[in-house]
Formats: sequence, structure tokens, C-alpha cells
Amino acid sequence: MYGGDEVSAIVVDVGSYSCKAGYAGDDTPKAVFSSVVGSIEQTGETDEAKADTAPDSKNGAKPMDVDKAKTKRKLYVGQELEFRRDHMEVISPMKDGTVTDWDIVDNIWNHAFRQRLLINPEEHPMLIAEPSTNTGQQREKAAELMFEKYKVPALFLAKNAVLTSFASGRATSLVVDSGGGSTVVAAVHDGYVLQKSVATSPISGEFLTDCMMKSLESKGVVIRPRYSFKKKEVSPGEYKVMDLDFPNTTESYRLYCMRAIASDIKESVCRVPDTAFDEVAYANVPTTSYELPDGQTIEVGADRFKIPDILFNPSLSQTIPGVDGFADSMSARGLPRMVIDSVNRCDVDIRKELLGSILLSGGSSSILQLKERLEKEVLEESPGNARVKVLASGNSVERRFSVWIGGSILASLGSFQQMWFSKAEYEEHGVSYIQRKCP
Amino acid sequence: MEAVVVDAGSKLLKAGVALPDQGPALVMPSKMKLEVEDGQLGDGAVVEEVVQPVVRGFVKDWDAMEDMLSYVLYSNIGWEMGEEGQILFTEPLFTPKALREQLAQLMFEKFNVSGFYDSEQAVLSLYAIGRISGCTVDIGHGKIDIAPVCEGAVQHIASKRFDIGGTDLTNLFAQELKKSNPSVNIDISDVERLKEQYACCAEDQLAFEAIGNSCRPERHTLPDGQVITIGKEQYVVGEALFQPHILGLEDYGVVHQLVTSVSNVAPEYHRQLLKNTMLCGATVSMTGFEDRFQREANLSVSAICPSLVKPQEYMPENLSRYSAWLGGAILAKVVFPQNQHVTKGDYDETGPSIVHKKCF
Repeated sequence: MYGGDEVSAIVVDVGSYSCKAGYAGDDTPKAVFSSVVGSIEQTGETDEAKADTAPDSKNGAKPMDVDKAKTKRKLYVGQELEFRRDHMEVISPMKDGTVTDWDIVDNIWNHAFRQRLLINPEEHPMLIAEPSTNTGQQREKAAELMFEKYKVPALFLAKNAVLTSFASGRATSLVVDSGGGSTVVAAVHDGYVLQKSVATSPISGEFLTDCMMKSLESKGVVIRPRYSFKKKEVSPGEYKVMDLDFPNTTESYRLYCMRAIASDIKESVCRVPDTAFDEVAYANVPTTSYELPDGQTIEVGADRFKIPDILFNPSLSQTIPGVDGFADSMSARGLPRMVIDSVNRCDVDIRKELLGSILLSGGSSSILQLKERLEKEVLEESPGNARVKVLASGNSVERRFSVWIGGSILASLGSFQQMWFSKAEYEEHGVSYIQRKCP
Repeated sequence: MEAVVVDAGSKLLKAGVALPDQGPALVMPSKMKLEVEDGQLGDGAVVEEVVQPVVRGFVKDWDAMEDMLSYVLYSNIGWEMGEEGQILFTEPLFTPKALREQLAQLMFEKFNVSGFYDSEQAVLSLYAIGRISGCTVDIGHGKIDIAPVCEGAVQHIASKRFDIGGTDLTNLFAQELKKSNPSVNIDISDVERLKEQYACCAEDQLAFEAIGNSCRPERHTLPDGQVITIGKEQYVVGEALFQPHILGLEDYGVVHQLVTSVSNVAPEYHRQLLKNTMLCGATVSMTGFEDRFQREANLSVSAICPSLVKPQEYMPENLSRYSAWLGGAILAKVVFPQNQHVTKGDYDETGPSIVHKKCF
């Protein structure tokens, strides 16, 4: 059992889009940066070329060795990613909400501790937020990495849905977490996630950003990434934009930069429509203007309402030219449907309580009017006498970091201090003990 | 009794009683000589070592810091033992919590102050020019801090800190001088003085490239009699802040960093932040730096261009050097009379962690 001294715990939440880290007890994380990293292959590429072009060379054994040899790569995390480098690919450690590349996660944690928070992990207990559908194997891997490499004194793994629930002061609620990489609906009862009620969908912030980008491209708008142009003074007060050419920039990096701008457009102009989106009805809606970094002003009209409506009606994304349908995007359900299905998979007794406290969290839940529209749609589809209430904190910063805030609250509670999984327990019982300690 | 404001930087320690219409009374290098008696040498020779308690903005050597502060507070400012007053400290961005607690502990336990407060330098610099919202670009000796501040609250999520500063520019200058004057041996502290005297900024990138060919070298006589020529090296120092690859770093220049930093704040604040940009730190008083900054800002990859704020006429000269101290003096006049600071009673009751609750 870890006593819990004066030294405050650190709360880390690595999501599919951004990573949040900070001290427990604070009201916002101090370090927020992108979860994707830049990677430059150090050896790799040329060896394969050699193997192809010289099959009958003296080193006949080479092709075999290339396959086995691990290509070393240099990773650029956080701010380092913002500088354009030749051949730098942008890769994500997560796929469908779960971690696939632990090396990248390791680098992300290291960056957060040593370069952003400026702390020594050996002195602070760690609270890590994990996806609601995390498998036992993933948790053991996380625990192992934390104890072996970072030598933390104590650890706790908490599920995202539970933390969001605590952030709003409830032990039972239905959490709708619409983040960057995926949307997860999970029911929390008395502080535990009901696994059978968990539903995920790939329709989320990143997908909406892609739709926005493709939609603008189809209308002829060219989004210039920030690194690809510079301004030149033609005469005092007058500037001209000049394109810069960087032929060795990878496609993934270019898309990453364009997405950053499209994401800003989406956050500035989008609103959820009050009723289902209809092409005809919204054809003449007044447009809002937005100024791009290179000075061009674009007018966004029907897209303002169409893009957010994809959350409610995923098949709308098929009407945008260039958006690749996900294999299961046809079967992806809208948000209200996911909520109802999730509630119906729980025990009859708690359904009323769940419908009465639906929590919104995650970056994408900050879209204007989402709360009102979701409440209306769920009310329509729910049984007659049910009272439906969707709760969301008014502050969009709180919604974006609600998982982190829940962790901050949890780790600073006096009654929590005995629940830490300490280093001594890890050494005594082994890593699988974590399943018992962190339910 | 007036409160004392202390701004401990990596190079200079600024301290004085809180009188905002004047600069800090004491500006001294934050360096100390440690006399270690070397027992082996029979004649009691002392080996001297230069100790710098503040490294890259953060206090690293607490014993040295204690000695330095006791000199400042007791010998210079004139506090009496047993009648210590109130003190306000400034701190850089991203100060770890443990460091703040240690400072509070040092103040209350060793120095027995009656009141303590600490605040981030970014916010204080803005107070010095009469704003509560804006961006500060603080180019210090050991670090560069870029912080957007909204209504007195630093937006930590968007802020950036770089571990480069005046000291790296000095090293660069030394390297460049060595290349053009290979036979001359210059001490690093002399290079520091030369940098302050000669360093300047070219008008823009094209002008910098043209300078290589057309600069008139100047001859300078060092204290020990050696003569060196300084030509385009003076411009390299200023250029390094706008093109960090000169320092060997893969990163964008300071204006680009400012623009990307602001883009991480909620869109409704962008205009207010960028139009109220403030430069602080001694490095910005380099000839031509502000003009170059404004020029680069007009060319920046952003819809809204940053523009610099001019300080008021009634504030002291050299505002940019002491802006954090001056802001601290202004804040001290508000915080201490209204009892918003950490008192000895609070500290005794809760311990050092009270500093996180009371000081923002």
C-alpha cells in the first residue's frame, strides 16, 4: 500500500488525437500536445532497393537480413513535430482507440515527463487513463512499462468513462465520449464500466475534419499548409503570397498540416442543425467567412451544418466526394442510436437513471447545439415516460479535458490514497496483480 | 513597510523595494564565488569556483541561493533579523511544483518572512505595460518563454519554453569570432561584453545574406591589448533568433513560434493576443531587433499579424530589461495590502503546498 505523501500525483491521458498530462489537483492539464509523432527511418529504405536491384550479387544472403533487421527510426514528439523535416512520416500509436505501438507511447510519456512537466517520474505516483475497452494484456503492458522503465513509486489505471463520470460528480451515468479518434458510449454504474454496454464508432473529430477538408477541396478551395508558403513584401503595406516547394515532404505530413487548419475551420464555423440535414433546405443558408493563414477568405455555407450532422447520420459522409467510406461506415450508427442501444443492453432497473444523466465529453462534443439536438433525438427514440437529460459542462475546455479532470479529482482524494498499486506490490505479486487492484 | 520584489534570472538578479515608478534598486549578476580551501597546498591557497545558483531560469543550487538572498535582503535592502517583511518572487514558465514549494519553504523557514507571493514572469511583464491580456516573448539569458496570457491567466496549454537564450548567443558569437580571428584568445566574459556592445539585427533575411559581402569590419581593442576585427559576426547573433538553424537547431524562428503558440488558444482571443505582443528581456534591446521582429511579424504565416505594444512614457527607461520586476512591484502593491498572499500563519498550518492554492 502506498502511503501518499505531500508529493502530488501525475495524471496522464493519452488519447488518439492529443495527450494530456499534468499534476493531480490542478483544474487543467499543464501539458497538452499531439499524440501523433513524426518518424524518420534511419536505415531501411536504401537496403531494400539494394536487395531488389542486385539479386545475384555476392551478398546473396542480404535480402534475408533486410527483412530481419529492425529499421531504426528517430521519433519527433510534441513540438518537434511542428517543424517540417524531409522524409518525416506522421504515425499514430493507436488504432481504433487501443495502443498498437508501445514504443511511441513510451516516447510520448518521456516527452511529457521530462520536457513538458519537468519532473522525475520516480518521485510521483501515476494515474493513467485507459480506454473503456482495454484488454488485460494492454494493462499489463502499460504497468510493466511504467514500473520497469520509469520506476514509478505507485500506479493506477482508470477507465476513461469512469473518470468522466467522477468529473461531473456522479457514480452512475452514461458517458458519450466523442474524441479525436473514435466515439465511445459506455454506461458507468457505481464507478464501474458495464462492459456489455460499451459501443464504439469510428465517426469522430478526425473523421469530421477529413470530411470538411474533402468538402472544401471539392469546392475548389486550396488549403495551403503553413510551411508551404511565405509572404513577401511587394510594396510597403502590400504583401504577396509565394509558394515554397519542399519536394521531400511526405504526404502524411502534408495531410497532418492541412488537417490542423481544417480542424480550426471546423471548430470555428460548425454548428449542429436543429433537425436532420437536408441538402435542399440548406442550399441557401447564409455563409460565414473564415480567413485562412495565407490570407484567403473562404465562405462556408451548408457545410457548417452538414459536417456535424454526420455524427447523427453517418451515411451523409458518402455524399461528399472523395471521402472513403469505412468498410463499416454504412453500418455505423448515429449517436442517438448508439445511446439507446447501449442503454438497452443494461439492466432494466438502471436504465432510467442512465437516461437521466447522459454526459458529453471529448473535444468533438464542444460543437455548438450538440447537447440540445442529442437530447431531442434520444427523447424521440426512448420509451414514453423516460426522462432524458444530457449534461455537459458549459466550458468547452472542461469538456475536452473531462477525462483528465476526473483523474485529477480522483488522484487527489484522501480516500483514494490507499488504492494505489505500489511498486512493492508489483514486485511481490507480479504484473497480473493489476487486474485485481484496478478493476 | 514596503514589500520587496526579487526577480532571480539566470544572469542578473534584480531586487528592490516595490516602488513601480523606478527600476529595481539592485541589479547584480547572479554568480557567486565559492572559496574552497585546498588542504593539500601548504600555504592555504584557495581554489575559487564560480557558482551560478539559477540555471536556465530555475534555481538549481539552493545553498548558493540562500547565501545570495541573505546578502541581498540583509546587507543590501536592509532588513533586520527578526523583522523581515513581505517578499514577492517571479518565476519562469513551467516551474515544477516542487521548486515553488522549496522556495516557499526557504523563505518561511530560513528567512522567516511575514508574507510570500510568487507569480509568473509573463503575467508580470504585461502588468508593467498596463495590460492583462497579451502575449509575452521573454528572451532571457538562459531561456526563451513565449506565453499567451488571457485576463491575467497564462494559457499553459499554448505556452512554449525553449532552452536557448543569451548564453547560447554568446557562445555562437565566440565561435564566429574565433573563426575570423583565429590567433586571438578571448575570455567568454569578454565575449559577453562584446556581444552587448556590437550585436545587431539585419533588416530582413535578404539583407542578412547581402551583408556577408558588404560589411565594414570594425576593429576593437580588448582590455589585454589584443585587437580583433568584428564584421558580419555582429549580425549573426541577431539572425540566430529568427533562423535557429544557425545555432544548429531544427526549429522555426521566434515569430513563427509565437504565431503557432497563439493558434492553440481559443479563436476569439487571437486578435487581442496578437495585437498586444510584448518583447522582454535584455536581448531585445539589441539594435534593430524590434524592427526586425515587426517586419517578420508582418510576413508571418497567419491571417492576423502580431504587433508590438509600446510602453507608457511614465514608466522607467529600459522597461524591457526589468519588465518582470516592475510588474512584480505593481502586483505587490495590490496583493499584500489585500492580504491575498501566503502569510506565516497559512504556511504553518498547511505547509509549503499552500503556495499552489494562493499564488496563481
